[in-house]
Amino acid sequence: MARPVPSLQSRLVLTLAAVLLVAAGAAAWSLDALYRNLGLRAQQDVLDAQVIALISSAEIGADGRLVPQNLAEPRLATPGSGLYAEIEGASGSWRSPSAVGSGLAFIAAPKPGERRFEHVRLSDGTRVLALSLGVHWEPETGAARDYVIRAAQSLEPWYAQLLRVRAGLVTGFLLLGLLLLGGLAVALRVSLGPLRRLEREISDIEAGRRESLGSGWPRELSGVTGNLNALLVGERKRLERYRTTLGNLAHSLKTPLAAIRGLLERGESAPAALEPQLDRMQAIVQHQLKRAVFGGSGATVADHAVLEPLEQLRAALAKVYADKGIRMTLAAAPGTAYPIDAGDLLELAGNLMDNACKYCRSAVAIRATPWTAAEWRRPGFVLEVEDDGSGIAPAERARVLERGVRADETVAGQGIGLSVAREIAAAYSGTLEIGESRLGGARVCLRLPGR
Amino acid sequence: MRLLVLEDEPALRETLARQFRDEGFTIDEAGDGVEGEFAGLEYPIDIAVVDLGLPGRSGLEAIRAWRKAGKNFPVLILTARDSWQEKVTGLDAGADDYVTKPFRFEEVLARVQALLRRSGGWSQPLIQCGAVALDTRAQEVRVAGEKVDLTAFEYRLLEYLMLRAGQVVSKAELTEKLYEQDFERDSNTIEVFIGRLRRKLDPENRLQPIETLRGRGYRVARG
Repeated sequence: MARPVPSLQSRLVLTLAAVLLVAAGAAAWSLDALYRNLGLRAQQDVLDAQVIALISSAEIGADGRLVPQNLAEPRLATPGSGLYAEIEGASGSWRSPSAVGSGLAFIAAPKPGERRFEHVRLSDGTRVLALSLGVHWEPETGAARDYVIRAAQSLEPWYAQLLRVRAGLVTGFLLLGLLLLGGLAVALRVSLGPLRRLEREISDIEAGRRESLGSGWPRELSGVTGNLNALLVGERKRLERYRTTLGNLAHSLKTPLAAIRGLLERGESAPAALEPQLDRMQAIVQHQLKRAVFGGSGATVADHAVLEPLEQLRAALAKVYADKGIRMTLAAAPGTAYPIDAGDLLELAGNLMDNACKYCRSAVAIRATPWTAAEWRRPGFVLEVEDDGSGIAPAERARVLERGVRADETVAGQGIGLSVAREIAAAYSGTLEIGESRLGGARVCLRLPGR
Repeated sequence: MRLLVLEDEPALRETLARQFRDEGFTIDEAGDGVEGEFAGLEYPIDIAVVDLGLPGRSGLEAIRAWRKAGKNFPVLILTARDSWQEKVTGLDAGADDYVTKPFRFEEVLARVQALLRRSGGWSQPLIQCGAVALDTRAQEVRVAGEKVDLTAFEYRLLEYLMLRAGQVVSKAELTEKLYEQDFERDSNTIEVFIGRLRRKLDPENRLQPIETLRGRGYRVARG
């Protein structure tokens, strides 16, 4: 059993969900990175400011240590405040009261003029950002000395804020994604509505509740529904034709059968007596078969370039009528094409051209042209076949086209070609007209409308 | 005239063979495409009647093979499906005319005779060589308007020569074309028949319609 194919709707929703997931992930990640970088920069600025404040208030004491004279930032005086400072020198260090018991240990040891940031941890695990600045101190009195001035700030409050922002971002993007997917599902439902209607109407046709698809389809579907309707009409006509053919065949065979039965009942068994009836039956079968030939494949969708089959027919007929030495001219407007079953086209043109060859004196002219109209997307097709024979009298014309509808009512073999051609043309909603040719004989014009 | 009947249905093949034999043809029969293709390639046949729907190799393929090998004897196809598609395919493959089944033998015969005439370069059913006129349809011969009674074999002999008017036809060719392959062959018989034909056509020996070319054969003058 074939795996069930996922519906268009689930395909679209799943694909879009995957795309959304990736896109939202990327967007959230880059927003987060931006926020993180900006935040870190702000933290660094705070430390820079602290270090500058320390430098501006520091003085070298008697013991050679560099010590800030007053602490402008009260947090430096409060133990565990989260802001720490230290001044390290060759002759000892100064530490802010806030650093007491914090276990703060700096690692960076910059040279004078160098500035380094580092991430360190306090003894209680608090993450801290530290700045160490190496300075070369030249006092007004005494020798110059090197110091490292350090400031550090706990990152924990900022990290907590970062987590809140991240939670917000994720929630926001999830909500946005869900909203988009929901919207898409609704949009799909609305736009696939006509497809569901098509499905419903087709199953109605199958069930025999309707004859063809209704009207008012969106532009994207109108081509399909138009073709489907044409196919349905074609199929219905074909079916009707088969029924009629079968009916006619059965009906018309009855008469000769009855005649044979009568002959046999009379004790007549000489072949000569049976022959006329056999001939008649043969003619009937041949006639009806000829009618049943067309539309065999049912494939009427492909556009057929008409020139090639017409050329084939011309070559074939030139052989068959070699004795007559017919001048057969064939002109087809370039690109003349029509969506017709190849066999039907040969049958149509073959019957008309054969007829012309049969009744002409020495000239047959065939012309194929497209037939355009504003409302057709595909052009129709006109085939004119003319000959220089004695023509068909106006009074005869209608009868010739109707001839042989019932084989038992007519002389077999006489002009069946034209009436068969008319029937095939009718199957394509086309017409066949008989007129007078400039060549002097008959002019048969076949018109197949476009769509 | 040597005619190949390529038809798989035995009843139809035998009927056709018998009817053509009655008309004076020499017949080769083949019941499938392979056999038929071989016969067409190997035997000196003048015309072939080919059924398209054969088991195995189709009649179309046989015709294509003959044409490819440069055999240009006329081919008449028999088709059961009366569609132009099939006719066009057959004629395109190299056949020269078609007859749709079921058919009357008279129709097949008429087509065969027309094709033979055409392959001899005659476009009318009436073939005229000097004072001798041969009507291929009525199978009648007239000399200066007077009907001449000929036997079936004499008619076939004259027809063969007149269809090839202007060409030299050897005794061997005549023996081959006018006798069934299994018959005793004796070129003297041809001489005897030619003699009889001359006496019937030209009792006073003035017209001399059939020319003898010593060591080469016979010729009927064209025109």
